[in-house]
Amino acid sequence: MSEEKYKLIIDGLEVEADKNDTIIQAYAKAGKAITANVGCMGQGVCGSCRCLVRKEGERSAETKLGCETKIEAGMQVSFLDYFLPTHVHHYDMNKVGDGWNWLEEVDETFPEAKNCRHCGGCDTACPKGLEVQNGVAQVVMGDFSTASTTFDECVMCNLCTLACPEHIRPNHLGLFARRMKAARTLRPIDLMRRLQEIDSGKVSVNIDAI
Amino acid sequence: MSTQQKFTGIPYETALANLRAKTPELNGTLPEKDVLLKTFHPDHAETARTTLTVGANAGDFCHPDLAKLLTANPLIEDADLAGAENMVTDVLVIGGGGAGAAAALTAVQEGAQVIMANKLRIGDSNTVMAEGGMQAAVGADDSLQRHFEDTLKGGHMAGKKELVAQMVTDAPSAVRWLIGLGMSFDTQGGDPNGLLVRKKAGGTTAQRILCHRDFTGLELMKVLREAVDIEPRITQLNRHPAVELLSDAEGRCVGAVLYDLERRKLITVHAKAVILATGGSGRLHLQGFATSNHYGATADGLVLAYRMGAKLRDVDSFQYHPTGVAHPPHLAGALISEATRSAGTKLVNGLGERFVDELQPRDVVAAAILREVREGRGVERDGQVGVFLDTPRIIAEQPDILQRLVTLGHIAHKCGVNPAEEPLIIHPTLHYQNGGIEINGNGETCVRGLFAAGEVTGGIHGRNRLMGNALLDIISFGRRAGKAAAHAEPAHNNRGGLSHVHNFQRALQKAGVKSEGKAPVLYPNYGTFDWKEHAGLVCNID
Ligand SMILES: Cc1cc2nc3c(=O)[nH]c(=O)nc-3n(C[C@H](O)[C@H](O)[C@H](O)COP(=O)(O)OP(=O)(O)OC[C@H]3O[C@@H](n4cnc5c(N)ncnc54)[C@H](O)[C@@H]3O)c2cc1C
Ligand code: SF4
Ligand code: SF4
Ligand code: FES
Repeated sequence: MSEEKYKLIIDGLEVEADKNDTIIQAYAKAGKAITANVGCMGQGVCGSCRCLVRKEGERSAETKLGCETKIEAGMQVSFLDYFLPTHVHHYDMNKVGDGWNWLEEVDETFPEAKNCRHCGGCDTACPKGLEVQNGVAQVVMGDFSTASTTFDECVMCNLCTLACPEHIRPNHLGLFARRMKAARTLRPIDLMRRLQEIDSGKVSVNIDAI
Repeated sequence: MSTQQKFTGIPYETALANLRAKTPELNGTLPEKDVLLKTFHPDHAETARTTLTVGANAGDFCHPDLAKLLTANPLIEDADLAGAENMVTDVLVIGGGGAGAAAALTAVQEGAQVIMANKLRIGDSNTVMAEGGMQAAVGADDSLQRHFEDTLKGGHMAGKKELVAQMVTDAPSAVRWLIGLGMSFDTQGGDPNGLLVRKKAGGTTAQRILCHRDFTGLELMKVLREAVDIEPRITQLNRHPAVELLSDAEGRCVGAVLYDLERRKLITVHAKAVILATGGSGRLHLQGFATSNHYGATADGLVLAYRMGAKLRDVDSFQYHPTGVAHPPHLAGALISEATRSAGTKLVNGLGERFVDELQPRDVVAAAILREVREGRGVERDGQVGVFLDTPRIIAEQPDILQRLVTLGHIAHKCGVNPAEEPLIIHPTLHYQNGGIEINGNGETCVRGLFAAGEVTGGIHGRNRLMGNALLDIISFGRRAGKAAAHAEPAHNNRGGLSHVHNFQRALQKAGVKSEGKAPVLYPNYGTFDWKEHAGLVCNID
């Protein structure tokens, strides 16, 4: 099939690709060794193809997931390499308490969170269009349920973390809230029953029955 | 990329008119299951099978492309190791998907220090892409026994009974472990103390799939990755693919050689035990198929383990998921979750007929689709042929369905289709490696010091995996391998080398097998990666 071609620049390299290609597919046609910035290659869930994209004729650049963004003629793309930040919020799921001190625990682990200056950097950065800034406020206020929903579809691309001038790491804060909520409150009754039946030896598998 | 034979079908517009004309009925023309699979399943194609002549599986069947990799030349030689920096740890985990992360976290709990080496970043894996969910028999109308029997039957009775029994018994506690780490599962009405939402998978006799909406793998991997990230006793080496294992004089595995992509250098890691959790092989595009798999799924673990003497099984058996995207061409192979079919969406050919019960096991449904395509009853659009996934009808019947199937809406949007009005066109996509390294219940391989877990292993899913059993497999066996590896006996002398590679090469020579190419390949061919070139070790002045 002959398709219309677009020219664009990816990480300084001029690339020609089919009009319908995504940035990741165009990148694969660039002919250089590809060892990073791609994971799920199109599903938009791994967050590794994060990039800065400047469209022709536009002055500002946007953050995008390369595998979910179609190319345009004259586009300029540069991938944002992943780094492990030196500033990691360590916490131990087994050591955080019974849930009555959520607010203190948030404050201890993410002391910067209350300093959010509502600059909106995280919202602008989020390629998934999540209400990141609101999510941060929800966690700080202890509304873990709402925050859990806000961050539900987060793919942990870390673009909000890169954008945040207060080093809040909004996505990690959101994940902290989600993890705490599940770990402390999710007690499905059917699961509990089955576990008890297994632990007490009431049910097991007979491998010769088949 | 695709060398697949091209077929023609019924033009899209005609097919669409046929679909809209009537409610599709099952046309009842499907042959017997055995005949259907033999005639139409890609595993049975003439070009899909060869016999291995060297190594622990000499005499066994294998896919020819994989066989080529298993008998290929190694990437490195002794000389390359001179001057390589060395690291030491208790347990080395290779591969940072779900199986690797579960193994690493468990090994740490058991008191071990862990190094986790990953080709891409931790989490960039098949695990993060899983949508549908994870099997665990928790329903009052369900039992461990039924889970066991469904799994074995689904796998054409080729699974190892002991492993399957152990896995299904582990399932409820695996879910509990994940919840303890902070993973959410859907509950009915959102009541955290209520019943879990349970979906039905093709080939199961009860509703048994637990899920987090329809991005279960993302939820699971997010939590596991964070847990690994903040665990001080795990050293993560991202962008450090394993290029070879290390053996001692007794043939025991004592570590691995990694390539540090940042510094463009080899390093060696010596360990008491090594856990291979490198996942599957979809990116080899076997039989010219498009794939649903992540970029790093290139069968590296099989190559490394085989050279070391580990036994493999069922490496001529792969899973082609029925519902990959067929159109538009640039999205070919992307997965549409089985949850779509389990919610009741029908498959319809170009004549407007249903040709298969959509909830049959995957190999049957995939073969049935390939039959329609091969016999000219497919739907053709812009040169791509597939069959319809009748989303307009299901959305009309269940208007809230897209709220439950978030990723279906997402993928339809990417295809430029309004799923309430237009059906998607689908075609089977290479999805899962059914076979792999043989293990026992502790994830041990037949090579001492070498463990394996997850998609890289074989024996659990037999020759066809049921939806939701892979996520269970990686947690059940990931944890077991992590625990056993943490308690592995240290080797007498753990100076590792490449003698196993030399032995294997001698065996190849003796058998008169000419090695072609180099393996592990690390990236698909469109990744244009050559480590020597990358490391600046070849002169390419032209
Ligand atoms: C699109 C999709 C949807 C799916 N949906 C479901 C589902 O709903 N339910 C279900 O049960 N299963 C599902 N599966 C299958 C399931 O997700 C996988 O089988 C499972 O997650 C595999 O886990 P793993 O840890 O073994 O491998 P992976 O998660 O693939 O992880 C392997 C890791 O090892 C790395 N690696 C590879 N080679 C090397 C090397 N040489 N050195 C270092 N690292 C290396 C890879 O880059 C990767 O990060 C799905 C799969 C796909 C692709
Ligand atoms: S919330 Fe942050 S990490 Fe999550 S998707 Fe948005 S930008 Fe990425
Ligand atoms: S970027 Fe940081 S400071 Fe700005 S709104 Fe978001 S969380 Fe607040
Ligand atoms: S490659 Fe995974 S989000 Fe783009």
